[in-house]
Amino acid sequence: MTATAGTTTAGSATAGTGAPKTVGTIPRGLLVLIGVSALVAVVATFSSDLGLASYHLVLISTVLFWATQATSWNLLSGFAGYFSFGQGAFLGVGVFTMAVMAGRNDVNYLLAIPVGGLLAGVLAFVIGAVAFRLRSLRGEIFALLTLAVPFILGSIALNTRSIDGGLGTTIPTPDRPDWVPSFQHLMVLLNLGAATIAVAVALAVYHSRLGRGLAAVHDAEDAAEVVGVPTFRYKMTAIVLGGVLGGMSGAIFAMMLGYVEVPVVFVLYIPLFIILICVAGGRRHWAGPLIGAALLVVLTEWFKVAKLDQYRDIVLGLLLVGIVVIAPDGMFGRLRRHPWIALVTFLVVAGGLLASGYYAELDALLYGMAASVVVTTLAGLPRVERLWRRQATSDSPAAPAAAPGPGTGAGSATRSSTGFAAPPPPPPGGRVLVSVEGVTKDFGGVRALDNVSFDVTEGEIVGLVGPNGSGKTTMVNLLCGAMQPTAGAITIDGRAIKGLAPHRVAHAGVARTYQIPKPFTSMTVRDNVAMAVMFGRTGASYAEARQRAEQCLATVHMQHLADALPESLNLHQRQLLEMARAIAAEPAVLILDEAFAGLNPAEIDDAVAVIRRIHASGVSIIIVEHRLRVLQQLATRIVVLNRGTLIADGAPSTVLNDAVVVQAYLGRQRA
Amino acid sequence: MNTVQVVLSGAMLGGLYALMAAGVSVTWGVLRVINLAHFGLILLGAYLTYQLVTIWRVNPLVTLVVTVPALFVLGALLQWAYDRLNIVEFNSLLVSFGLLIVMIQVAQNIWTADHRELPRDINPFDTGSLSLGPIVLPYDRLVCLGLAVLLLGGGHLALQRTFVGRGMRAFAEDRTVAASFGIDHRRLSVLLGGAAGASAGIAGMAFMLGNLIQPSHAYEWFGIVFAVVILGGLGNLLGTLFAGISVGALSGLVGVLWSHAYVPIAVFAAIIVALVLRPQGVFVRRRAV
Amino acid sequence: MLEVRGVQARYGDAQALWGVDLDVAAGEMVCIVGPNGAGKTTLVKTIAGLHAAAAGSVRMDGVELTAVPGHKVCDYGVATVPEGRRVFGHMTVRDNLLLGAYRRAARRVYRETEEEVYRLFPRLRERQGQLAGSLSGGEQQMLAIGRALMARPRLLLLDEPSLGLAPVIVDEVFDALAAVTRTGMGVLVVEQDVQRALEACGRGYLLIEGRIVTAGTTEALRSTDEVRQRVLGM
Repeated sequence: MTATAGTTTAGSATAGTGAPKTVGTIPRGLLVLIGVSALVAVVATFSSDLGLASYHLVLISTVLFWATQATSWNLLSGFAGYFSFGQGAFLGVGVFTMAVMAGRNDVNYLLAIPVGGLLAGVLAFVIGAVAFRLRSLRGEIFALLTLAVPFILGSIALNTRSIDGGLGTTIPTPDRPDWVPSFQHLMVLLNLGAATIAVAVALAVYHSRLGRGLAAVHDAEDAAEVVGVPTFRYKMTAIVLGGVLGGMSGAIFAMMLGYVEVPVVFVLYIPLFIILICVAGGRRHWAGPLIGAALLVVLTEWFKVAKLDQYRDIVLGLLLVGIVVIAPDGMFGRLRRHPWIALVTFLVVAGGLLASGYYAELDALLYGMAASVVVTTLAGLPRVERLWRRQATSDSPAAPAAAPGPGTGAGSATRSSTGFAAPPPPPPGGRVLVSVEGVTKDFGGVRALDNVSFDVTEGEIVGLVGPNGSGKTTMVNLLCGAMQPTAGAITIDGRAIKGLAPHRVAHAGVARTYQIPKPFTSMTVRDNVAMAVMFGRTGASYAEARQRAEQCLATVHMQHLADALPESLNLHQRQLLEMARAIAAEPAVLILDEAFAGLNPAEIDDAVAVIRRIHASGVSIIIVEHRLRVLQQLATRIVVLNRGTLIADGAPSTVLNDAVVVQAYLGRQRA
Repeated sequence: MNTVQVVLSGAMLGGLYALMAAGVSVTWGVLRVINLAHFGLILLGAYLTYQLVTIWRVNPLVTLVVTVPALFVLGALLQWAYDRLNIVEFNSLLVSFGLLIVMIQVAQNIWTADHRELPRDINPFDTGSLSLGPIVLPYDRLVCLGLAVLLLGGGHLALQRTFVGRGMRAFAEDRTVAASFGIDHRRLSVLLGGAAGASAGIAGMAFMLGNLIQPSHAYEWFGIVFAVVILGGLGNLLGTLFAGISVGALSGLVGVLWSHAYVPIAVFAAIIVALVLRPQGVFVRRRAV
Repeated sequence: MLEVRGVQARYGDAQALWGVDLDVAAGEMVCIVGPNGAGKTTLVKTIAGLHAAAAGSVRMDGVELTAVPGHKVCDYGVATVPEGRRVFGHMTVRDNLLLGAYRRAARRVYRETEEEVYRLFPRLRERQGQLAGSLSGGEQQMLAIGRALMARPRLLLLDEPSLGLAPVIVDEVFDALAAVTRTGMGVLVVEQDVQRALEACGRGYLLIEGRIVTAGTTEALRSTDEVRQRVLGM
């Protein structure tokens, strides 16, 4: 009872402050967490005085245990989206560390717990180091590989006499300090400690650079790399943290079990239940696993008490199917919108049923939760919501999306001021920013680029043009480090980028946009841009980054959409967002890959004005574009590729009248 | 000689792995559905075989008359639902996992968690074996290998030589272009799902010939079957057959040279090496560019 | 034979076609030229039923195609050679061709059609057993055309057939298309290579920013300044 009420409070407390996330939430969240933990600890310690049966303590321990495991799993699999079936392996390492140390060698359990965490962390490191190095690794393959790990560990344990050898191990009843009244109290306190640490870690990660980086990996991993997120390191950190926490909690689990054997620990039920908790609760927020754990543990306990064990897995399985199909975001998203309704419904129903005296505690809890879920879901229906909340626009994050078609309006204002037909600024004879020397790129037997060389000098706007299939996109991918040249060298601002990871190339001063915009879908427009500031060369804090993001959005005239989610933007706005994100990294060179594709003439004019402004702020630009008309207005120099070779490089007027270029574009001249 | 014997009988057992892997490989490769519920279908096939043989007291091969159509329908229904709800890739992994748990629990509620086996007096493949000099080939494993060669070889030919088979391969490579030549993904899904279901029925029967069955077995098949699927190359039946036989032989070899405990590690290592060297699958004809 | 009237298409919020009208009769080769991003590929996809039209009608011999699902359009006699060829690289040349004959009516006569395709492109006969992915670009283009012909269409849609090919090969491709046209098939070619397209086709349309700007015989088109101006930007 207390545990579940506690977790709901923790969830709702942050939910209330969740919408405008400020730095202040970390300490505040931690305070709430510590408060709740202390409350649970006090209630548990004085449980007999409060009239709680030992059975309640077991229930609290169980909820806390699964909440810890789910929270650990969520660090990688929820935040970054790399689903793992391997959490059972970390848990298992913890269990058998306890079994071997405390069960077989009489080592104090307080030592075995951290050792279990450490060993599981090592295992996580090995798994991550192998899996995340595989270039072709897709999410499904990662999931299936991690599926194998618990089985392998199980068979090792089963066949190693010093670990298990098929004999099983009894864990002796642990000694406890005098102030802890019973073994069950000790379990509650240990699990509470582990859960508090796990949630604190998740909370800290969620609000830190790491958490934002992981969310970016989840939304669009290659875009994350380009804005400078060190994806490999972040994924490793997440999996190792999850391993350590899972191992510690696993060691405690061994004490709860009392008798440890392989078939109980290395079973699929464990990772499955963890996944189910997180899918049901919500994976993108740290509080999701807590809600999921409370819901599902109570549900399974209810099945146990009701002697309906044989239907438990059927219900759990169908629940998983139903949630994935109907509500893939989990319960948290729904509860967070109406935290108080959720809490009040739960308290009223559960409390009422309890007070009536006809219902057992577990029934009351379950019905209370079910009622809470149903009511919040109903309250979330648009029609119902309108009834009781009139100023719906004030705190709903998606609301500003309704702002009317902005680009054209803003554009028309600037169009006159920029002077539409104005000739581009003359290139100053400054320092060379980008140098491409003899670059060749082969794909299998096909040569996409053949010995291409050109430079970009500070202050230029270089148009990179050529017919379809001429190698432009390959060139862009080489420039931003997404591909390595077969031969030749590329230097950015004097620094050779050969072998550098994309995020390092980004730090060397290259930013790019994608032809098909790849926004971080879970973040607002402002946060999308702030990501690039945070992970850029300077590495600003989140608060600073958000401020600078405002300036970048102002440059592209998107301030009024700062709080919108990317999915509510139109194509033009998304491309402007790409540009804002790119300049936020304060690049020396900005590469625009087909930034006008799919735009109507008015939007193109608007985009041209934006590019001029970006250029005026001191950024050199490479534009990849088919439309020569646009480039004629914009570029200071044009480089033409055809079939992978450079066929022209010079001032726009010269290049566009070049016979070879005309032929490449218009086709063979009539004889 | 012992080693040869072990490797050979491992390879024959590999036929069973290949039979189990065929359906998973094809639905993953062609439809992008990772169907964990396939293991549930195999389980169901095994229990149906057990049930029918015990009631009718006939040769287990005869029960295929019932199990194959039944599982064809079930498999087709399953894929129809996935297609309808547009469940592919990651979501299919989760959804089918949920379904698998349901199926295992249902099996447990009907047939309990106890071991079941075919009555020994009716199962003609249980104890006999074929002796070739010093080498002994147990009948049940011979049947497994034979069925695998027949089914996967036949399936491979069907994929290679028939219009529908070509349609499936084309669909796997490029859905849009395939559609523009008249390939209907809905019919294809149902057909493939049905075929996969039917193969699960045969795999379940083959499993029963020489093994005891228990609901939790569905989980135990996971590791080795996915190893076969990944090594064989998605959607490649001939590759799956060779991968099955090789994994079987490797397991036998590791088991006799070191210890049975190291079999999963060896298989796992093989997958990792394969993913590093040949991400598209080991037994796939290398695509000339 | 093909009548396109007032067709509009969009991708989400971006409108790609703003009311396109065009006709193709049996036995004629018609081209659509225009700069990249003009909506040429979208137009082809919309006619082929691979992209839903937002408004307007596409009729093939009087039958409305906009309501027909993508995999059924080929039953009404339309076959597509997609941009970038998109042959099935893991399948053999012959398998690619036979796949083209997937629809029932084409299956019945696939042997004869296959012979015709080999006569048109003798090189494909030599490469029958080879994986399509191992062919050169030009051979792949021939295969893509052959695959479309296997469906026994009355209208052949081609999206950028000259893309990335050497001039000699492009000649070969257009010669083959001319031969196909003489058999009474209608051919609609979308081309970036303006000169080549205007040379090969009888009539043409200039598509710019989702609208047909000029239409007429290629002779007339060639003399229009607009083509040169709008495509090249001079």
